[in-house]
Amino acid sequence: MAAESAKEFEALEVQATILLETFRRAGYEQVAPSIIQPADIFLDQIGERLRNRTYVFTDLAGDELCLRPDLTVPVSRLYLERHPNADQPARYCYNGPAFRFQPQGGGQVRPREFRQAGIECFGERDKSKADVEIVLLAVEAVRRAGLKGFGLRFGDIALFYALLDALALPERWRLKLSHYFWRPQAFHALLSRLAKGERPDGNGPIAALAEAIVGLQPERAEEKVAAYLDARRLPLAGNRTLGEITARLLDHAADLKAEPLPREVATVIDYYLAVSGAPKEAAERIAMIAKGAGLDLGPALESLARRFKQLEAGGLDLAQATFTAEFGRSLEYYSGMLFQIEAPGFDDAIGGGGRYDQLIAYLGAPKEVPAIGCALHTERLLAAIRGNA
Amino acid sequence: MAAPKLTIAVPSKGRLKEQAADLFARAGLALQSKGHERLYRGTLAGIDGVEVVYTSAAEIVHELKSGRVQLGITGEDLIRETLADVDGSVEFVVPLGFGRADVVVAVPDCWIDVARMADLEDVAAQFSAAHGRRLRVATKYMNLTRRFFAASGVTGYRIVESVGATEATPATGTAELIVDITTTGTTLRANHLKLLEDGLILRSQAQLFASRAAHWDAGAAGLRAAMAEKLEALKC
Repeated sequence: MAAESAKEFEALEVQATILLETFRRAGYEQVAPSIIQPADIFLDQIGERLRNRTYVFTDLAGDELCLRPDLTVPVSRLYLERHPNADQPARYCYNGPAFRFQPQGGGQVRPREFRQAGIECFGERDKSKADVEIVLLAVEAVRRAGLKGFGLRFGDIALFYALLDALALPERWRLKLSHYFWRPQAFHALLSRLAKGERPDGNGPIAALAEAIVGLQPERAEEKVAAYLDARRLPLAGNRTLGEITARLLDHAADLKAEPLPREVATVIDYYLAVSGAPKEAAERIAMIAKGAGLDLGPALESLARRFKQLEAGGLDLAQATFTAEFGRSLEYYSGMLFQIEAPGFDDAIGGGGRYDQLIAYLGAPKEVPAIGCALHTERLLAAIRGNA
Repeated sequence: MAAPKLTIAVPSKGRLKEQAADLFARAGLALQSKGHERLYRGTLAGIDGVEVVYTSAAEIVHELKSGRVQLGITGEDLIRETLADVDGSVEFVVPLGFGRADVVVAVPDCWIDVARMADLEDVAAQFSAAHGRRLRVATKYMNLTRRFFAASGVTGYRIVESVGATEATPATGTAELIVDITTTGTTLRANHLKLLEDGLILRSQAQLFASRAAHWDAGAAGLRAAMAEKLEALKC
């Protein structure tokens, strides 16, 4: 990539000053976490998908490190360093470089080295309040930087989980469906198999083994599995215990006996995931789907409607906003509301964020910590403000 | 001899080198060494204007990508692993019928609850809940693994890079499963590993590749066509 021109540098600096000033005025303390991060944490918690976009290297001491691919995890680690018990609320803002490998080569809109400006809010108990605060602050920041005519897209992972919880499903299938949520294709395949009355795993070779332990108590089943392995001289390797192997076989066994998924249940899920439109209409449509199926989505649905009301009360015009039930299915660490800022002519979002309540505990906190943030791609923001998509 | 119009890279060591030499000889294009440079340069009998450079199979992939050679013989596994844009970088000219190896996903054979890739995703979820970390896949094929696992909808894993004795990693406990090459499956069985039913990532063999980045003039294109024809003819 060509070295950035002095002019570009100045324009980005001016923009960063405006963004950071907006954040600081709202009570967000500016931080600068390390650019070089332990690779383990990213790879373990964010997964291999981000790895092929991440510059990973081994240093002279043999430690596996990476250039941070985003700032949310580094800022979360910094929060934990300052508050190991994760018992204090904190609000941080930042502006700094992040690095992502671009398989098609770097460019203006997708540089491999770019600056992220953002905000993260930890430990705010009133989640609704924090959700609204982050969206309004992000919108205020891009407006003050000069962005006009942008759109907002919202999603809500928690609402989908509330739907699954409300549906009459065997617990195994509920877990499986929520686990597959992140992979739309596999999810739809699983759903249609369940709805056709086929077992989640079809009639594979495992079915025969599962058949042999149908209805057994775990200890008894484990003995049978141990005997099976012994007879075939299969040593227990690969770090999984006999109990884990048996547990999965028992799951299979339970599936063999289970009733097929009622077609209405699959239909409700499909209807829900197809919802996309203006926020209030989308919320009404979801309420209608739930009512039609006799489901109570409880606080999750209420908080969706309340959030939009509060956003409007905060001065946000929802005319340019969309709620898409499926939105966020590719971002594995989110756990609740999420949103992105879209500019016409740009395939990639100018910025985005959401709630990630599980991440801090993954990183080593003794308990779950409410957390929500938003990051802006500053080069893209600048390009959008200048109107060159 | 006239200045070479076409450069071809050929593996410089091991079985691939022997088999390539044998193939060229049978095609009437025997590899000939070239004076004091005989260790790393040569020519082909029966065809003028071709320079042979000997280098490692892995290096040949880079030579093809950068266009420093027009043609090269190497394994499809290395090409698909190394190049981000395979079709934009090379052309598959002739499959050569040697260097056959399957890149596969293999798990401990005691995992009797696992037969397919879909099972792996469930095991990954169970494993991280029970052990607090992701399932580890040992391999030297990081990119092939990532792409194949993504296409199979398996995500809850992480790769540990392995350069040698990959098949022993589940037994020694440094990984839970592997992605590796196998020809007969004997090594896998000896290490108490089994293939997944749908775990075949790639059926690889040595191929003659043409670089898209290299300079191709009429002379080079003509030489390539002549060589391809002779190698093709062997297959009948």
